[in-house]
Amino acid sequence: MWLPLFGLLLGFAIGVLAGWEVPDEYSNYLSIAILAAFDTLIGGWRAHLQRTYDETVFITGFFFNIVLAATLTFLGVHLGVDLYLAAVFAFGVRLFQNIAIIRRLWLAEWAKRRQNREKS
Amino acid sequence: MKRQARSRLLLTLICLIFGAMLGFSYQHAKNEASRREWSDSEWKKEYEYRSALLALQKENRSLKQQLVKKQEELAAWEKKLAEEQANEAGLAKEAEQLRMHVGKARVKGKGVAVTLSDSSYIPSEASATDYIVHEQHVWKVVHELLISGAEAVAINGQRISHRSYIVCNGPVIEVDGTQHAAPFVISAIGNPDVLMSALELPGGIVDELVEDHIDVKVEKQGAIVLDPVFAPQP
Repeated sequence: MWLPLFGLLLGFAIGVLAGWEVPDEYSNYLSIAILAAFDTLIGGWRAHLQRTYDETVFITGFFFNIVLAATLTFLGVHLGVDLYLAAVFAFGVRLFQNIAIIRRLWLAEWAKRRQNREKS
Repeated sequence: MKRQARSRLLLTLICLIFGAMLGFSYQHAKNEASRREWSDSEWKKEYEYRSALLALQKENRSLKQQLVKKQEELAAWEKKLAEEQANEAGLAKEAEQLRMHVGKARVKGKGVAVTLSDSSYIPSEASATDYIVHEQHVWKVVHELLISGAEAVAINGQRISHRSYIVCNGPVIEVDGTQHAAPFVISAIGNPDVLMSALELPGGIVDELVEDHIDVKVEKQGAIVLDPVFAPQP
């Protein structure tokens, strides 16, 4: 359980300390990629709680969403239409939904535990 | 068990990637933030100042262009004015000289004065007319002076012009309607040496006059002032 968290912290440290530089015009891609990754992670967490977690779906989703979001942004930049807004909207909505589902699952678990305690 | 470990490892890898992206983005945003710390009002203010500055610069430029244009116009005017003044000065000078020549202006200069007097000795009343100054003597002197280069001539102070006439009128001489009696002083402005030697040529006008029993006195004068012609034009 602690290994992924450790990986997250390590990655964060690498990102901060590596000192990579992106030109301003590519910062859009980075933010949309982060949003996509975050959405996938939360989605995976929700799936795990709902016991529908599938590793293949999760991993392919992670990379595919990032690539898709970046592609949309790229297309939007070149077509003059702010298509990355679509990605932001889609991922944002799904993020909220997933978080809401996780909260409800937690609530349900908490209520079940309390019931059990009262019973015993 | 092996499967679970693999999935754990994959999850860790994905978390690592996500973390790296997050960290990178965080650092990037921090760098950007220092660049974009201006608030909206500040942007607005800067925009206002900038547009005011631009307007001022535009105005300045147009004013400068106007100034240059005006200066060019001024230079043109000044040039024209200078030319006109130069022309006027030339004209005025020429007019002054012409006036001097035709006797419409008071003139002053070096010259000679020729005095013709009746002979002091008259042998007999019958031949008295042979011993007095006649008008032809006067105009001979005048002609001689003019031919020798006199610039202005006057008889007894009366200026002679190119339209003057000299006539005999009994005992007196009439010049442009004004009567003059002997002695006649004919003053001429010009080079005194030239005039003098012209008058005193051997066999010249002075000798001629002396032969006609006239008292002739020629003298150089340093400053002769001749009044303009006042006589009514015939």
